[in-house]
Amino acid sequence: MKMRWLVAPLAGIVFSGAAGADGLWDKKRAGEPGLLPAESAFQLVSAERTGDAVQIEWVIAPGYYLYRKRLAFESVTPAGTALGEAKLPQGANLHDEHFGNVEVYRETLRATLPLIHGKAAPQQLRVRYQGCADAGVCYPPVTRVVDVVVAAPAVKP
Amino acid sequence: MDTRTTVIVAAACVFAAAAGYGLYTTQEKAPVAANELPVSGPFAGPVPAPVAEASSGVPDKAPAGVKLVDLEGKTHGFEDWQGKLLVVNFWATWCGPCLHEIPALIKIQEQYGAQGFQIVGPAVDDVEAVKAQAPKLAFNYPVLVGSSDDMLDLMTQLGNTSGALPFSVVIAPDGKILQRQLGEFSAVELAGLIEEQLAKKP
Repeated sequence: MKMRWLVAPLAGIVFSGAAGADGLWDKKRAGEPGLLPAESAFQLVSAERTGDAVQIEWVIAPGYYLYRKRLAFESVTPAGTALGEAKLPQGANLHDEHFGNVEVYRETLRATLPLIHGKAAPQQLRVRYQGCADAGVCYPPVTRVVDVVVAAPAVKP
Repeated sequence: MDTRTTVIVAAACVFAAAAGYGLYTTQEKAPVAANELPVSGPFAGPVPAPVAEASSGVPDKAPAGVKLVDLEGKTHGFEDWQGKLLVVNFWATWCGPCLHEIPALIKIQEQYGAQGFQIVGPAVDDVEAVKAQAPKLAFNYPVLVGSSDDMLDLMTQLGNTSGALPFSVVIAPDGKILQRQLGEFSAVELAGLIEEQLAKKP
């Protein structure tokens, strides 16, 4: 038992040194030591238009996952523009006693939203997602409005 | 190693030592004031929030003036259950661990309800989703509903700013917050805590 008191301060040094101010900030925001706030557990890192599709990417912290079924996308600007059905990668299977067999995403997720020919491309999207931590808690659904960045054309050497 | 790095490493050591000492003292002192209680559950450690931070803002008493509506449309505040040992269990229909925990809570309510114990279940969810799911869960304690934002605000007030569920707060008959729990309760630990508290009743 006494070993724990020795290990904790050492872990603190590694943590403080490696993670720096951002890590501490996350801890404060979460209010609970060791639990990330939803915006750090599920980072929506980009929404980028390339050709006739918008790619939306998440970085998911280790030990956290997003549910496939709880992803939703809609155009904010222009409002109500129809979007194609999102193409999603095959997720990992997770058996939940209440929700049955569900697909979940870990580490990274890239969703592809095909644009419908003849409709204006969205400049802003409303994205909804929800996930949990393996440690046994779930986060409320997150809704974010993101600007869609138009990818720069590849530079030819 | 330049001077700046030395300073950073030294600061890190001081922080780590303080955190370690904080953990040591928190664990050794008993009983501790509710506002110094670290949240229990899977996120209990290893490094507790500094005491100064925990005591700023997180109340040691159930907040007054909170209005929560049950599924019959009746409005309640925490005052309604004053005089009872109360467990406030925040849950949602989209939360698997919450749905797993509820049958155990129902059993606990059945077991200790006659002895001055009460569970209430505020749902951080759409009212319609709760109404659809509630009959299947066969609650024997009040389910409370409100806007998700209001529920999240209430959880923040009670010390859970991450919004993660399940989240429970154990409140003594005099309104004092005894424990905050993020993640499911262990049924055995909860029963132990209830028996210990009920034994204190005059």
